Amino acid sequence: MTDTGLAAPAASFAPPPSSVGSAERTGAQIMCEALVRENVEVMFGIPGGAIMPFYHAMWEYRDQLRHVLCRHEQGAGHAAEGYARSTGKPGVCVATSGPGATNLVTPIANAWMDSTPLVAITGQVSSAVLGKDAFQETDITGITLPITKHNYRVTRAEDLASVFHEAFHIACTGRPGPVLIDVTKDAQQARIVPDWGVTLNVPGFHAPAGVDQRAIREAAILLVGASKPLILAGQGVIIAGAADELRTLAERTGIPVVTTLHGIGAFPEDHPLSIGMPGMHGWVHVNRAIQECDVLLSIGARFDDRVTGKASTFAPRAKVIHIDIDPSEIGKNIKVTVGIVGDARTALLALLEETPARDTAVWMRSIRDAQATHQHRQPYLRRPDTTELMPHDVYAAINCALATRGGYRVITDVGQHQMWAAQLIEWQRPRTHITSGGAGTMGFAVPAAMGAAIAHPDETIWAIVGDGGFQMTNQELATIHQEGIRNVKIAIVNNGYLGMVRQWQQLFEGKRYSGTPLSGPSFAGLAEAYGLRGFTIDRIEDATETIRAAWDHDGSAVLDFRVEREANVFPLVPPGSSIGEMITREEVTA
Amino acid sequence: MRHTLIALVEDRPGAMNRLLGLLRGRGLAVHSIAFGESETPGVKRTTVLVDTENVDQTMKQLNRLIEVLDVTDVTHSQFVVRETALVKIQAAETRRAEIKAIVERFGARVIGNSPQSVVVEMTDTPARLGEMIARAKTFGACETMRSGSLAMALGAAIPRDQPVLADDKGRPWWSQADGAA
Repeated sequence: MTDTGLAAPAASFAPPPSSVGSAERTGAQIMCEALVRENVEVMFGIPGGAIMPFYHAMWEYRDQLRHVLCRHEQGAGHAAEGYARSTGKPGVCVATSGPGATNLVTPIANAWMDSTPLVAITGQVSSAVLGKDAFQETDITGITLPITKHNYRVTRAEDLASVFHEAFHIACTGRPGPVLIDVTKDAQQARIVPDWGVTLNVPGFHAPAGVDQRAIREAAILLVGASKPLILAGQGVIIAGAADELRTLAERTGIPVVTTLHGIGAFPEDHPLSIGMPGMHGWVHVNRAIQECDVLLSIGARFDDRVTGKASTFAPRAKVIHIDIDPSEIGKNIKVTVGIVGDARTALLALLEETPARDTAVWMRSIRDAQATHQHRQPYLRRPDTTELMPHDVYAAINCALATRGGYRVITDVGQHQMWAAQLIEWQRPRTHITSGGAGTMGFAVPAAMGAAIAHPDETIWAIVGDGGFQMTNQELATIHQEGIRNVKIAIVNNGYLGMVRQWQQLFEGKRYSGTPLSGPSFAGLAEAYGLRGFTIDRIEDATETIRAAWDHDGSAVLDFRVEREANVFPLVPPGSSIGEMITREEVTA
Repeated sequence: MRHTLIALVEDRPGAMNRLLGLLRGRGLAVHSIAFGESETPGVKRTTVLVDTENVDQTMKQLNRLIEVLDVTDVTHSQFVVRETALVKIQAAETRRAEIKAIVERFGARVIGNSPQSVVVEMTDTPARLGEMIARAKTFGACETMRSGSLAMALGAAIPRDQPVLADDKGRPWWSQADGAA
C-alpha cells in the first residue's frame, strides 16, 4: 500500500552516495549491498512510507538490483515464488508496513506449504513508535510466525548485514522456505560503518550433510525383496537436482515411477517406467499400483492428503521407505518402515551403490494393463454429443505446441484447469511445471508466470489459469506491460464457474451451485486494455491456430478459451475416501 | 498422553512465542510451561508438559525451530520433577499458628504476613502441592500461584557450553529418532 503518511518524526533521508565520504552507510544501503552480496538480481515489490529509505537507496543500486513494481503485494510475492521455483534461487519480495506486509501473507503461506525459498522484506514503523499502534503498524513478525521458516524484526542497522546473510542461508538451506525480515524505518535510516565480516550463528539450524548408511542398506534390502516395488517422487527430487539420479535408479532397478503434483517433471512422462500422477485426481492405474505395491519408495514427497486420500487405507500392503530432508516429515502422515533423512540426491546416490538390477516385468505389465483399461488420455474427454470446445481440446492443442516448440515452462493456478494440466500435458523436465500445491492459492499463476518470465527471458512462459483465479491477480497484466515482459502467454480455461467447487457441488451436494457461477469481462478486451494481445477462442478448430499465433506474437498475450461449462475432472477420489475408491467419468455419466 | 519435554532454546526475540505457537498451531494442549536461564548465557532451558499422541513428531517439529537447540522427552526416563507454589491464605491472626503448623508438616513455610492473610511457599511434586493447597483452602479464601513443573533427568550433567549437535555416538540429532522401526 503506497502511502507516504509518516507516523514517525520525519527524518532526513540519506544523502546520495557521491556525498558519502566515509565508509558510513545507511541501513537501507546495507540492505541493498547485502542483496547484491547474496547474488540477488531482481526483487518484486511496492513501496510505501515505512520502506521508503530502502527504495531511496535502491536507486543507487539500480544497475545491479532490478526492482519490478507490482500492482498488489500478493502479486509481488507470487512473482518472487515463480522466479524461485523456476530457477531454484531465492525469490525476493518487498512491501511496506501494515497492509503492504499483510498482503504478503498469502504468498508467504504458499511458499511455506510448497517449500519455496523466499525472502520477504518489509518496512516497519520506527522503533520509537513500535507498539503504539502507529500509522500502518502491524505486527507482521507475529502474524507470519507459523508460516515462515524464521523471521526477524530488525531495529538496529548494525544487525542488518548478519540478519540478511542468515535469512538467505535459512531460506535456501535444507528444506527451502520463506523467511521474513521486518526492518524498522529508523534502522533503514541510521548511518553506520557496516561490518561485512559476517559469520553465521545459527546453532539450532542444521541441514543433513549425509545419509545414514545403515538405513540405506535396509532400504536396499526391502527393494531387492519386493515383487511389486514402486517409486513415489516428489518435489524434493527437483529441489535437490536429482532427476538424473532418480532416472538411473529407476532404470537400473526397473521400478515404476509415480510423480506427485509437485514432483511432475522429476521423471519424464514418456519414459517406459513413468506411470503418472497419484491421488485425488490421479489415474486409476496409479492409485491401484499404490494400493497393490509391496514396497513404496518415497523420495522428497510428504504424503499430502491429496496424495494419500484416507491415510489409514493408503498403500495397505506396502512397507514404506521415506527419504526426506526434513526429519519431521518422516512418519508424520504415513507409517514408515525405513526413514532416511537427507537430501534426495545424496540419498539416491547412496541407494544406487546398494541396489542391484532386477526384473519387474510382470508387475509393470499388470500396471500397464490397468492403464489400458482405465486411462484414456485424450479420447475419454471428447463428448460425442457436443461440438462445444472441451477443456481437453485446449490441453491437447497446448500439449502439442509445447512438445513441438520446446523452450517453455508452464505455471498453473488452482482448480479444475490445474488438474487437467497435470493429467493431460506430457511433462518432461524439472521446473517446467510450477503450481500452487499445498496451499492451493488461486491467483498464483499470473504473477508467478511473470516472475518465471523475468528469470527466463528466452523461454515462453505459459500460465494456465481458470477464469476465477485469473480475476484474483490479473492486475499484474499492467506490470507485465510496464516491465516490457514479452514472453508470458496466459491461457484462461474459462467455464464461467469456480469450476472445482461447482464440480463438488454437482457430485456431492445435489447440484446446488451456491456461489459458483462467475461472470467476467471480455478477457481479450481486458488484455488489450493493458496493452497485451488478446484472443478469444470458442471453437475446437481455432485452438491450435490461436496458440500458434499467440506463441509467435512478439509480446505477452491472453488467450480466453471459452470451454464447455460443466466439464469435470476425472478420475476423482471423494474427499475422505481411500484412493482405491475412485469415481470415473464412466460411472457418473452411465 | 502427557509428556514432559525439556528443551534448550536460544534466547532470541520471540523464541518462546514460536515454541508455544507451534504447539498451539498443531492443536496440542500445553499443561504447564516453565522457562528460565540455563547454565549457558544466551540459552534458556524450558520444561513443557504437553499432551501429544505422537511425541516423536512433536519433538521433530520443535527441532525445526531455529532457536531450539535440543529437545528431550524425559517421560519414560528417570527424572525428578518439582514445582513451586505460593499460596495466600485469608485467615484471622488467631489461626496463624495452626496454619503454620499444618503447612510445615507439608514441608512448606510461611514467607509473608499481613493483617488479612499469610503467604505460604512450598516446593514439591505437583501432586503434593495439590494436597497442601486443598488443605489450605479449609482455612478460608486462597489465592495460588504455581511455577509450572521443572523437570530434570538423572544421570550425567551435560553443561551446554557449546550447543550439542550430536549424541555420544556422533550421530546428529536429526538421525537419532529415525532409521528402521
